[in-house]
Amino acid sequence: MEATLNINNDNVTGINSEVTDLSQEKDKVLHKKRETVGNPFVENPRMTCRDVFVYYGDKMAINNAGIDVACNEVIAMIGPSGCGKSTFLRCLNRMNDTVESCRVTGDIRIDGMDIYAKNVDVVPLRARVGMVFQKPNPFPKSIYDNVAYGPKIHGLAQNKAEIDEIVETSLKKAGLWEEAKDRLNQPGTGLSGGQQQRLCIARAIAVSPEVILMDEPCSALDPIATAKIEGLIAELRQHYSIVIVTHSMQQAARVSQRTAYFHLGDIIEVGPTERIFTNPRHQLTEDYITGRFG
Amino acid sequence: MNRFFEIFFVIWSWLSALCLVGAVAAILGFLCVKGFPALNVELIFGNTEPLSALLLQKQVFDGLFPAIVGTLCLVVLSVLLAVPLGVAAGIYMAEYAVGYVKTCCDFLFDILAGIPSIVIGLFGFTLAVFLHKNFSDQVYPCFLISSISLAFLVLPYIVRSTQISLEEIDPAIRNTALALGASRLQNIIHVLLPRALGGICSGVILAIGRCAEDTAVIMLTGAVAIAGIPRSILGQYEALPFYIFYISSQYADQAELMRGYGASLILIMLCTLLFLVAFLVRKRIAYQAFYKA
Ligand SMILES: Nc1ncnc2c1ncn2[C@@H]1O[C@H](COP(=O)(O)OP(=O)(O)OP(=O)(O)O)[C@@H](O)[C@H]1O
Ligand SMILES: [Mg+2]
Repeated sequence: MEATLNINNDNVTGINSEVTDLSQEKDKVLHKKRETVGNPFVENPRMTCRDVFVYYGDKMAINNAGIDVACNEVIAMIGPSGCGKSTFLRCLNRMNDTVESCRVTGDIRIDGMDIYAKNVDVVPLRARVGMVFQKPNPFPKSIYDNVAYGPKIHGLAQNKAEIDEIVETSLKKAGLWEEAKDRLNQPGTGLSGGQQQRLCIARAIAVSPEVILMDEPCSALDPIATAKIEGLIAELRQHYSIVIVTHSMQQAARVSQRTAYFHLGDIIEVGPTERIFTNPRHQLTEDYITGRFG
Repeated sequence: MNRFFEIFFVIWSWLSALCLVGAVAAILGFLCVKGFPALNVELIFGNTEPLSALLLQKQVFDGLFPAIVGTLCLVVLSVLLAVPLGVAAGIYMAEYAVGYVKTCCDFLFDILAGIPSIVIGLFGFTLAVFLHKNFSDQVYPCFLISSISLAFLVLPYIVRSTQISLEEIDPAIRNTALALGASRLQNIIHVLLPRALGGICSGVILAIGRCAEDTAVIMLTGAVAIAGIPRSILGQYEALPFYIFYISSQYADQAELMRGYGASLILIMLCTLLFLVAFLVRKRIAYQAFYKA
């Protein structure tokens, strides 16, 4: 049972008909879409992406991607450098809006709401779809203020007691409470790298997101800190959907339920992680996994 | 060959640095040697009782006190006028301006930075004459006109330092708050400006120095040799650089020239004091922005 994507040109322009200019048409001819192997869609998805194209200026970075994010799953995105993993991830909370040359077309929904619709405000969207970056980047404020920042700007708490409560539960969920509870007023930048990354995770979950995007969250950390974060991701899955970009295939295998393999802007193959790593169906996936390139 | 070149380069860098330090030391040393003997209570307050002068009970006629107060007020008002405008323009340039508008503004600020101060002085003077003729014959070249002109003079420093220090911020930091759902303005206020504060502060310090030393502008826009303490922003005033210029061009005897050296020394100390204040204010604001926000 293979679900394949429709590459009919007329269909692609259905959502944003005004952006069909010539350069796009040309791109489609030059860069013909490779069909996604495996089933990228799920029942009761949290987020759905259909016919997603991303351009930096004239250059196409994502070519007709279609994939779902399920509830309470960790989905890993792997692929060689420059294949568009980060670009695709940033589409999911519209962080690509901050890149001037970047243009996104297609249909991306969270719980059925089109996040690129004209009247959508990115502020509440980014509270629903949180993000953790590659390099731990706490604000140069206290640990407490780092976690409290999101709830404060979103007005999630009426008084200090409620914020205290949010800070405590977020730090607990991020597995940092025991280490941080006696030093809440000390700067977050004074923590170790791994602790800082968990602080960033606490900061992201303090605004009660539904989806958390992680772009290589462990690549700046040592193996022990990495193991901690991976354990944490497994726990967080009970409450959130997590999309994780990683260069480590072991990591993808350890934390994720499904894996998507990206190649030069295409989603080549999507499937249950175990199946992808033991029995890849597409030649490119197999080459990447067996280390023939990447 | 390469080795030789490296040695040569290191020596050359050393010598350049030494020259610079030497020059500064020479100027300061010269001023101190000449100025310190002239420096005393009488130079500042003349024959007036210092306490009653400080409390503004009695006018000082033969001391530098009015000029010191004049320069101090002038610097403070000019910087107060220039900073909000300059910082806002810098934020606009770094965060909002794009494409053609940005190129245009960039060019215009460069031109503004290149205008000689005498021309800005002339502009201030013309403005005063224009206002005098068309609006009120009470308006003369005065303290307010000087402050506005000086603010114009230093505006480019503040715009540029704000713009550059904002643009230098690492994109990772720039996106942190945005990814949490902060609006663009919240990001600027909570994250970007506190980060840029150091750079903005250096711009303000440059501006303070420039306001304190500039003579051409104030000469044309209301500084006079004797006016007493500035009483109104529409009145004329005394200023240290003007005093130094005046005394060194028309001194009658050695003692008067010595007073000029004394005044120079006081001007430098005044600047140092203002720099210190700027640093303290910066520390205070940074603390507020980072840890209390
Ligand atoms: N801001 C940008 N402006 C222009 N092109 C960009 C920009 N960001 C990414 N690209 C291009 O888009 C393509 C995909 O980049 P992206 O960063 O998404 O890759 P990636 O899969 O995350 O790579 P890596 O594994 O190295 O992080 C690349 O060819 C890159 O050059
Ligand atoms: Mg990336």
